[in-house]
Amino acid sequence: MVDAARQPLIEVKTFTEVEKVEGYVGNFVVTLREKAKYVRADRCNGCGACTKACPVEIPNYFEMNLAPRKAAYIPMSQAVPLIYNIDMDACIHCYKCVEACGSLEAIDFSMEDKLEEQEIGAIIVATGFGHFDPTPMTEYGYGRFPNVVTAMEMERLNNSAGPTHGALIRPSDSKEPKNIAIINCVGSRDKRYNPSCSNFCCMYAIKNALLIKQMHPGTEVSVYYIDIRTPSKGYEEFYDRAREAGIRFIQGRPAEITEDPDTHQLFIASEDITLGKVIEREYDMVMLNQAAVPQPDQNHMSSVLNVAQSPGGWFMEYHPKLRPMDSPTDGIFFAGACQGPKDIPASVAQGSAAAARASRILHSDSWQIEPTVAVVWPDRCVSAKDQACGICSRACPYGAIDYSKGLAAEVITAKCHGCGGCVGECPHDAITQLHYTDAQVLSQIRTLLAVEPEKKILAFRCQWCSYGGADLAGTSHFEYSANERGLRVMCSARMDADLIYEAYRLGAGAILYSGCHPQDCHYITGQISGAKRAARLEKMFERMQMSPGRFRVEWISAAEGDKYARVINEMQATLDAIPEDALKAEIERLRPEMEKKLTKLEDVPGVAQAMVQVDFIVDEMVGKEKTA
Amino acid sequence: MSASFDPNALSERVKAIPGGDMLMMCYSCGTCTSKCMVQTKLEESYNPRRLIREAVFNMEEAAFADKTTWLCTACDLCYPACPQKIHISGVINAVKTLAVESGKITPYQVAKVDELTCVACGLCVKICPYEAISPVEKRVAFRGNITVASVDAGKCMACGLCTAACRSTSIRLAQDYNDADIVETLLSWLEAERASS
Repeated sequence: MVDAARQPLIEVKTFTEVEKVEGYVGNFVVTLREKAKYVRADRCNGCGACTKACPVEIPNYFEMNLAPRKAAYIPMSQAVPLIYNIDMDACIHCYKCVEACGSLEAIDFSMEDKLEEQEIGAIIVATGFGHFDPTPMTEYGYGRFPNVVTAMEMERLNNSAGPTHGALIRPSDSKEPKNIAIINCVGSRDKRYNPSCSNFCCMYAIKNALLIKQMHPGTEVSVYYIDIRTPSKGYEEFYDRAREAGIRFIQGRPAEITEDPDTHQLFIASEDITLGKVIEREYDMVMLNQAAVPQPDQNHMSSVLNVAQSPGGWFMEYHPKLRPMDSPTDGIFFAGACQGPKDIPASVAQGSAAAARASRILHSDSWQIEPTVAVVWPDRCVSAKDQACGICSRACPYGAIDYSKGLAAEVITAKCHGCGGCVGECPHDAITQLHYTDAQVLSQIRTLLAVEPEKKILAFRCQWCSYGGADLAGTSHFEYSANERGLRVMCSARMDADLIYEAYRLGAGAILYSGCHPQDCHYITGQISGAKRAARLEKMFERMQMSPGRFRVEWISAAEGDKYARVINEMQATLDAIPEDALKAEIERLRPEMEKKLTKLEDVPGVAQAMVQVDFIVDEMVGKEKTA
Repeated sequence: MSASFDPNALSERVKAIPGGDMLMMCYSCGTCTSKCMVQTKLEESYNPRRLIREAVFNMEEAAFADKTTWLCTACDLCYPACPQKIHISGVINAVKTLAVESGKITPYQVAKVDELTCVACGLCVKICPYEAISPVEKRVAFRGNITVASVDAGKCMACGLCTAACRSTSIRLAQDYNDADIVETLLSWLEAERASS
């Protein structure tokens, strides 16, 4: 911290909150609220005279409320910069600190919060994690039993700079505990609170146990655990060292802690899994190794930054394996536990990676994005005609579409990732995607279904998964029906209902609607909106009494070449099972219904001209084929 | 134990019964066992976690003979304590259902009906928390074709509520906690009280 503060190119802004983030990669405008410290940074020399003079004492949150602090304070002894601060919520306005400060005149009660706008190129979010409060787990008695403490409280009690100066005492009678239990997985791996594993607490329990053992060798330490997870380099050896040091590891999660109300001794009866027996043991003190949870204001931060959250509440990364330090929004990066619980080496690695990513933006004049961005036809957008719509804006997983009633929707190109979800959702065909325009995709459909369409299986594949699956089927030589005609779009969200209707109008035998599995989607929620639309279409076609199997929805990953081949072969089998006359009659019966749904397509700019050209080329080729 | 999938394996049959479907979610933390009142107060070898493991590994004989199968009172103390939200008494009940289906009965006592005095008033049917008692029509010696209460040995947990409710003392626990035992215990307490005062 001190090094960072001394670096001339780094500006450290403490006690400052991010109020608003606008703009896009390379051009963010960030509004900062620098809160009033009531001490002038340019005059304070960090002597601490104000703290000595201050008569107010309140609990010190840095010491987990185990020690007092004054209203004039520094948050911790290593604070950077070393400037005192007055807590206005606690201050009684006696002005003794002003007297103590004397001729320095650093204390200024007239200071106010400062709002400031800054132009920022890239943002790295490193807001860290919060601690699970074990109070709702009444079975462990935290808050009721004085000698049940949390891991952070134990950390302060066992710290030589802590409130007890390193003397390990138990809260009920200030005696040194001789027998300490550590309970792991308090609130983590627990479907009632946080279903996920908090990653580092096993190591943390071992560290604390060893620390207690080293500083107070006469103390017995037992660790209750479900599984000990020591996966990284050197971690297992650390676990070995703890066992060598005589720390008892007991496999089995205690159901409850009981207390003798007179002596405040604690009792844990737990099943030792390896023995299969319940063992009751007495302890002087119990440490609850709580789960790591998202910061209490993570939801607020998420809406300020406009980055999504994973199911657990952590910030969601671009890709869990390949881009864990990138947010889905270009120019915003994550470092450390704000993206998910992490230990120190992983946080440092991610932080360095995020810094490298950010410097790439700062050192380039231009920024490359996917060329398949969305574009609005302003004259077709109903929002410009004063109708409330905004469907595209809500469909966009990246918040890249600005919508306000009275104005045509506007795509912020730098934020667009080119999934085409907005194109698929827009009911007025007022938005299109470059390289996958309606005209282009319709031309492909028309060409693929030019000859004997009733025998064809038209397969809509998403670029990232099912297209890869089809590719793998090919390279692995999995044989599938030659009547399959593949068509690529970027995401299943782009598979507009109009495209499906048009294909059936042209007489397609069967249609496959395929994309990624929901957890693999390249575009956050693209697959989800694609799947919703597919379910809607399935229901509609069922109502139209289309033969079952002519419209099929499958989620196929890039690794599932065999599944792709199997699905196509199954579809071919269902097509074969329908008599040819019946199929043709069904196509004829459904054609007017499809046409009814399809009224708007010819008006879309470019479509009519493209169709004329396609028809001309197809006629030429089919004509040649026929003559040859 | 074969490694291939077998729909008739114990684990699959347990999962097919409502309540047993979360069987595979158990990660063996032992919270249920240490929370269990039957384990701590009554039977040391009682162990719901072990029963779940036996079911997972299709150890049918061991599971059906396990005391856990027959002693669970479905008090559901373990259910709110389970970090995986497994309805453990549901799993145990599923194992027990399969055991009863395969002809096993509880090694412990069940309530017995004295058919010579039962008047089929239905009080025991109403009060039984395990729905183990039902009225049946049958031929009873000296009384002819009449309706009497009948206890389902697969469901009865020998709690004794029916014994307390019965007005003609026609339904009883025959072995432990029978009326004679309870009276004897009460009398011995009374005597001890008298001697001390």
